Amino acid sequence: MKDFNLILSGIFFTLAASFGGLLISSEVQLGSLGRAPAEEGGPLFPPIETGLAIQGRQVYLELGCVTCHTQQVRPAGQGNDIAKGYGPRPTVARDYVLQTELLLGNHRNGPDLANYGARAKSDDEIHGHLRSPAAGSTMPAYHFLYVVDKNGITQPTERAQALVAYLKSLRIDYNSPEAKLKQ
Amino acid sequence: MSQDYHRQAHSSPSDTGSTLPVRLFFASALGWLMISSVLGLIVSLKLQTPTFMASCEWFTYGRLEILQRNAFTYGWIANAIFGVNLWIMSALARFEFKDSWLAVGGWLGWNLALTFGLGAIFLGHLNGYALLEMPKEVAPALFISFLFAALWPAVAFVRRPTGHVFVSQWYIIGASFVFPVAFGITQLLVLWYPTSGVLQALIHSWFIQNIQLLWIGASAISATYYFISKESGRTISAYYLATVGFWTYFLFAGWTAPASLLGGPIPVWIQSVGVTTSLMMLVPVIILGINFFGTLSYSRGFAYAWNNTTLRFVLVGMVSFVVSSALNIFFATRSLNAVVRFTDFTVGQQQLVNYGFVSMVFFGAAYYILPRVTGSFWPSAKLVHLHFWSCVIGGLGLALHLLICGYPTVNSGVMSYYYIPVIFFVLLQLVGHLAFAINSCVMLFASARNTNDNPHA
Repeated sequence: MKDFNLILSGIFFTLAASFGGLLISSEVQLGSLGRAPAEEGGPLFPPIETGLAIQGRQVYLELGCVTCHTQQVRPAGQGNDIAKGYGPRPTVARDYVLQTELLLGNHRNGPDLANYGARAKSDDEIHGHLRSPAAGSTMPAYHFLYVVDKNGITQPTERAQALVAYLKSLRIDYNSPEAKLKQ
Repeated sequence: MSQDYHRQAHSSPSDTGSTLPVRLFFASALGWLMISSVLGLIVSLKLQTPTFMASCEWFTYGRLEILQRNAFTYGWIANAIFGVNLWIMSALARFEFKDSWLAVGGWLGWNLALTFGLGAIFLGHLNGYALLEMPKEVAPALFISFLFAALWPAVAFVRRPTGHVFVSQWYIIGASFVFPVAFGITQLLVLWYPTSGVLQALIHSWFIQNIQLLWIGASAISATYYFISKESGRTISAYYLATVGFWTYFLFAGWTAPASLLGGPIPVWIQSVGVTTSLMMLVPVIILGINFFGTLSYSRGFAYAWNNTTLRFVLVGMVSFVVSSALNIFFATRSLNAVVRFTDFTVGQQQLVNYGFVSMVFFGAAYYILPRVTGSFWPSAKLVHLHFWSCVIGGLGLALHLLICGYPTVNSGVMSYYYIPVIFFVLLQLVGHLAFAINSCVMLFASARNTNDNPHA
């Protein structure tokens, strides 16, 4: 094996094989996936993000939240995400079709957020957690997202409001053709 | 075939024009290693005490962790790869590097682009994919700089005066080819013209596996082959298997990508492909194990390796390679993966690969190469020992701690004392890197001064 062209051709083939076998075939299977109703004639899911949530997604990204939080719920046979209450059903490819930049994450220092919007009770609860996380949590407090007004009351900045709007928009509490909610 | 050639072809490339770029690559690798070590310490302190440096957005844990990972990979590992691959190929191919200023240009471009990219991350301009976090505008500069900095080993191979080939050269050619292709394709399909939804995650996982196994891993394997043969003076054991090992390694590595997404929102058949090919990686790993350990398994071979500075580091790297590969293979199976996925166990696996294997091999390579490109001896043997033991205890201790405690801790709630050993081990690594940096800088600066004093030396 002394010929440069032979070695390079072989390496190119190995790369092309995995690229074609995994990625092009996935594009064929998933490339045309779009929003769909759970039942014929029903509303389309996943829902479209609101303007403020889109801005909040940028804040989520800028703060590096994806380092500690995932946004994917595994099926019952593959981990205990559903038993932990991270979501009522596993996430499927269709849940992400509107996302131009996926924030799946691959490590959890904190809980999964795929269905956080459905778990959180109110805006105040989320703001409270961002300002002052629970004792024992490894999450830092994001004081810089809040300001104290002239009356001495802590107010969220626009970025904090956008981040909360984004976190509230994270929901998988709807039926998908590929994954139904637990009965 | 090339075994005899390999033994005779180790003329030092110190007079062939490669020394300046190799010195520069090592100098910048050292700088980035120190930066990533300090960042690693800050990050581990923040895990133990989340309020530490929490008042400023720039020092948010998420950003600093991303900065640390990028500085370590694109700073320390990449520069070390450029230097080691260029040196090994120059030695094996007797390469006369007449246009070394082009590689120096690549070195400058790469490190400037990296500095700019990390600065952008620090200020909050980042993407959500591991090792693609730098703004996409930095990518063309990195890509072009890579071509100038890292394609010389291929040129050296083409221009080699004899037809002989050694196994290290295959891996270097593969590594030099894989990075620009995988990096370019992924940048285009994930950041510049993003595909829809989970396809991005698949492409990204393909990128990570290619970078991890076929660029970083292949370069470290190449260096391991080179130094165990060179320093022990032995031919590679069962050399005839090396060809099979090489091709199976390159053939299966890219396919293992979906194993990192098990249980994720991708088709099940793709996940199964990832699991199956991960298991098939046993073939090249066993062959590499036979080649590596077989070469040193002569009478007193391991004792000799332990008493040789370069081989001592490489030996630790070899053990880490086999253990980490076995862990990666077996924990790619569904039942085991379901238990450890998303936990610190996976961070321990990465630590074992990137530090226990790759970094230790490159440390060993530096102990062989730097004296030859600077014309000096290592100033302090004590610092060498301090470097070795700090990095072995710190690096492997951290990996073991994460592998043993990472799963139950993260799954049952963080214990208050869990991060204290992490801080200790990271601090120990920092001490080792500092010892290595002091020793190396003395050599590099002395060498630069000698060159300036006597440019015709």
